[in-house]
Amino acid sequence: MKTLRDRYCIVGVGETEYSRGSGRTTRALAVEAVRRAILDAGLTARDVDGMMDYQSGDSTLANHVAPDLGIRLDFYMDVVGGGSSTEALVGLAMGAIETGMCRTVAIYRSMNGYSEFRIGGTGARAAQPVRGLDLAQVPFGMRSAGQNFAPTFMRHMYEYGTTSEQVAHVKVAHSKHASQNPKALLRERVSVADVVGSRWIVKPLHLLDCCLETDNATCLVVTSAERARDLRHRPVHVMGVAGRVSKPRLDFHWAHGPITRVAGYYAKDIVFGQAGIGPEDVDLTGSYDAFTFTTMLQLEEYGFCKKGEGGQYVSSGIIELGGRRPNNTSGGHLCEGYTHGMSMVIENVRQLRGTVDDSCPGAAEGVHSHDYAPGRCRQVKDAEIAMNLGWAVPPTGSALILRR
Amino acid sequence: MPEPVTYRGMTLLVPDNDSEWKEFYAHARAHRLVVRRCAVCGLLRYPPSHACPWCMDLGWAWHEVSGRGTIYSYAIVHHAIQPGFKALTPYPVVLVELDEQRGRPTPDEALRIIANLVRPDLTPEAEASVAIGRRVRVVFQDLAEHLALPQFTLTDEPPAGRVWRLSE
Repeated sequence: MKTLRDRYCIVGVGETEYSRGSGRTTRALAVEAVRRAILDAGLTARDVDGMMDYQSGDSTLANHVAPDLGIRLDFYMDVVGGGSSTEALVGLAMGAIETGMCRTVAIYRSMNGYSEFRIGGTGARAAQPVRGLDLAQVPFGMRSAGQNFAPTFMRHMYEYGTTSEQVAHVKVAHSKHASQNPKALLRERVSVADVVGSRWIVKPLHLLDCCLETDNATCLVVTSAERARDLRHRPVHVMGVAGRVSKPRLDFHWAHGPITRVAGYYAKDIVFGQAGIGPEDVDLTGSYDAFTFTTMLQLEEYGFCKKGEGGQYVSSGIIELGGRRPNNTSGGHLCEGYTHGMSMVIENVRQLRGTVDDSCPGAAEGVHSHDYAPGRCRQVKDAEIAMNLGWAVPPTGSALILRR
Repeated sequence: MPEPVTYRGMTLLVPDNDSEWKEFYAHARAHRLVVRRCAVCGLLRYPPSHACPWCMDLGWAWHEVSGRGTIYSYAIVHHAIQPGFKALTPYPVVLVELDEQRGRPTPDEALRIIANLVRPDLTPEAEASVAIGRRVRVVFQDLAEHLALPQFTLTDEPPAGRVWRLSE
């Protein structure tokens, strides 16, 4: 297998505040996040010559963001898409640099996901006519992501006996992690009883099984390992990447079951093959927690446990800080805020640097207590390899393996 | 261009050049559930698409199916997103596996369709009656001269396999 293992790095990360009402345009948000990531890398506007972003008609474009910051581009691309674009764009940025089109790429996502364009189809999207492929489901009152994904989880419960209580542990773990994260929107720790006692949104999903629609922008800066050596932080290397890997019948994935199988089934060999490692070698994961059970499905499909045993796995304590392989140590989409996948990569980069922004007095210098009591540390001890499990919909996913 | 159809506050748009849905809905309005059948390999597919996903042939014809099937999975919407559905909550959305072509051409594949589970009068079926494994048949909800939605309703046939529903 051809691989670019360890030849590219994520050298800068940045984000705006996570809020439910930014009061700003997506252009303003993007400019702030991109600037922060460039400064985080120790670069200047002159050093960045590539820009990519993803959106679905709900955001600003690279050719508006770059000039605001005085960046002249040799390469840019605005990509249509949502979750799972994150890891795919890291791979495409590596490709753009590998071909010589540019040398350093800023990847951003900017969204007023709460106050302007809501993912569920309300807000500015509600008035659009229903046509084409949407006619196969939207007229039946199946429009939001929760409504779309619910039959997948229901069938998993039927086939494997998975329970609401088991997947509630994902929210419990992420809320524990968010309580150590000053940036998180929801910093209160919750219990399994809180999750299964919250009101139904679409069965089998309760309110607290669902992530938080959020306004924010986020950015990653990718460059060659050679260039990364002289930059500000310890470089974080890309070991492997898989982008928007899909199940058959992406138009209507329910036609090709088992519907409990998600895209990671196909992505795992690509990403682990490049990296030359297996699930046991991974110290922490960042999984796309649009809902509690999406995390479970991905962990299963990438082989962190056997297929069908995801419920037991996520309720075993393994995915919590202090457990063997913590997941979404920033609190993820369920608790930190919804970023379409970006924040979990940002968090893993900081974990591998050893500089997550928790409440440890020496956090910025990489001095951590590893005391996971409320309000304290969220740095994983000796984290060397981190993996991101990106998700768009059950049949499409991406993945990224990083090492320090 | 035919008039857009307003249904529960949504505008359903099937323009004249819509080569996927226009005839599907005309058949549905005549209370026939049709899918596309490949002219070469004979396999059925839904939703309407332009090449055979198994043999890539472009030739196809509409093929009427029995409209009988089994609930393969479902969701119960308690918090409606679309305003026109709020009065209907809780309403079931079902993934129905039709009797034709189950487990073909590979064991994981089937002809499946999304719809609502309704009573014969087209109101949402009671949540307690919705379960994986229960048998259903198609009914049609007429919305306009040129458009009807296929929906499903329970039958009294014995269930297919294990019956399961999410406990309250």
